Amino acid sequence: MKNIGKLLLAITLIAGLMIPAFAESITIKGSTTVYPIAQATAEKFMDMYPEVRISVQGGGSGFGIAAIIDGTTDIGDASRPIKDKEIKKALNKGADPKAHVVALDGIAVVVNPSNSVSALTKQQIKDIYTGKISNWSGAGGSGGQIVVISRDSSSGTFETFNKLALDKEKVRPDALLQASNQAVATTVAKTPGAIGYVGLGYLTSKVKGVDVNGVEPTKDTVRSGEYPLARPLFMYTNGPAKGVVKKYLDFVTSSEGQRLAEKEGYVGLK
Amino acid sequence: MRKIVSQRIGFSFLFLLLLITLLFLGTIIYFIAAKGVGAISWQFLTQSPKNAMTSGGVAPAIVGTFYLVLGAIVFSFPLGLASAIYLCEYSPKSYIINIIRISINNLAGVPSVVFGLFGLAVFVKFFGFGVSILSGALTLGIMVLPQIISASQEALLAVPQSYREASFALGATPWKTIKKAVIPPALPGILTGVILSVGRVAGETAPIIFTAATLYKRGYPNSIFSEVMALPYHIYGLMTEGTHPVQQKEIAYGCAFVLLILVLSVSFLAIVIRQRQRRKNG
Repeated sequence: MKNIGKLLLAITLIAGLMIPAFAESITIKGSTTVYPIAQATAEKFMDMYPEVRISVQGGGSGFGIAAIIDGTTDIGDASRPIKDKEIKKALNKGADPKAHVVALDGIAVVVNPSNSVSALTKQQIKDIYTGKISNWSGAGGSGGQIVVISRDSSSGTFETFNKLALDKEKVRPDALLQASNQAVATTVAKTPGAIGYVGLGYLTSKVKGVDVNGVEPTKDTVRSGEYPLARPLFMYTNGPAKGVVKKYLDFVTSSEGQRLAEKEGYVGLK
Repeated sequence: MRKIVSQRIGFSFLFLLLLITLLFLGTIIYFIAAKGVGAISWQFLTQSPKNAMTSGGVAPAIVGTFYLVLGAIVFSFPLGLASAIYLCEYSPKSYIINIIRISINNLAGVPSVVFGLFGLAVFVKFFGFGVSILSGALTLGIMVLPQIISASQEALLAVPQSYREASFALGATPWKTIKKAVIPPALPGILTGVILSVGRVAGETAPIIFTAATLYKRGYPNSIFSEVMALPYHIYGLMTEGTHPVQQKEIAYGCAFVLLILVLSVSFLAIVIRQRQRRKNG
């Protein structure tokens, strides 16, 4: 019993010693679409400045912006612009969210590789997601039930898709909701009749990206603005970025940072 | 004759059920090991994730899990043991004590994600600890508290009444009796309970999602107010985020293997302690 008492004392002391030791640190939270860019650039940034500690979390665009408003993060990732409602909430709480565009992204509409459909119009996509078309034969396919996969409402990809492709109409209520880009891609890859949408970076050989209005989802068509489902990606800060956060954001938008974003499958700004 | 036959059938049936249980355990260990062992190397255990989570190791997650477990046990062990001692040795037998006992048992049945939300509301927000080792360890500590209390209670109740009576007969006070005559023989049982809860704390994801965990961080935490990577959450992150699912999956299985080995060896330690105690008592 005595020994255990000593052990506990030792452990408490060690824990106590750990308390203050503030290195420069950055916390990043939010969009799972922006996550790979944040993670890859954070890694490189810490190679360059080993004294800086960066922690990267997911959670979704809504979560990222809420964290900026609540002051629980340094950078809030979002794959959509801030909403009026959120601006109002920020004003009430005395926060001042500032947007920084860090890359461009296209939302690729994906189907299972076994699907014969390889092009859809925006109208067809809208009809599929709102429930007007429920069989692939109605969208130029060889028949079979369409399994509609969408994202939860905290997702910025959902918000953007909802605005750009569905003109803010409601997704059919029986659509399967997934919590991340990768989860959508995995489900579509496993389900023959499935349709989903993911950020361009998540377009792999396991799913097939369809042409939208005759335009293939590629980096070039996103950058040129031809691809209709394209969007900028944001990192938000509370007020103008300062100090090490500014240094990091400058790095993300530098040619080296943009090269990393491209490597993760996104579209660079330049 | 018929009795013997039906007894044989009954026993073989029970044995079959046992085999099925073992089969499940074996399958889990086999698949995780087969898929995960390839990823294991010295670098895997000692490095941070690299190249957008496609290579490098899981050292920060291992260390993070270690800190969370340590914190949770430091918090819940003294508290749990004290509660158990009070309930077994001091408390008057009244209906209030019964209510307390029932509450503790109910606490054990609360889903872990509820503890996670509780930790978010109380430790992260109300006390302002933020997403940190401290918040996560306290949340996990509260989660395993009932388990530690009931294990300690069982161990204390298993100490023969004659030990206490002998100690009182020698003129010892109740506190002295507990310290010298009750706790020492109960200690192995108590420790077994604590070690088993270490296994549970190490493997839980839900309580730390909102209170302690981060998807990516390099190096080791520098204070108890740091967020940490943790093994179970790292597996979740690798399977749901990031743009390289194929490479990430391999690392996720490696991570699962490390976690499995960690939990199994902790349980093994508990078995060894229990065996020793049996030999001592028997």
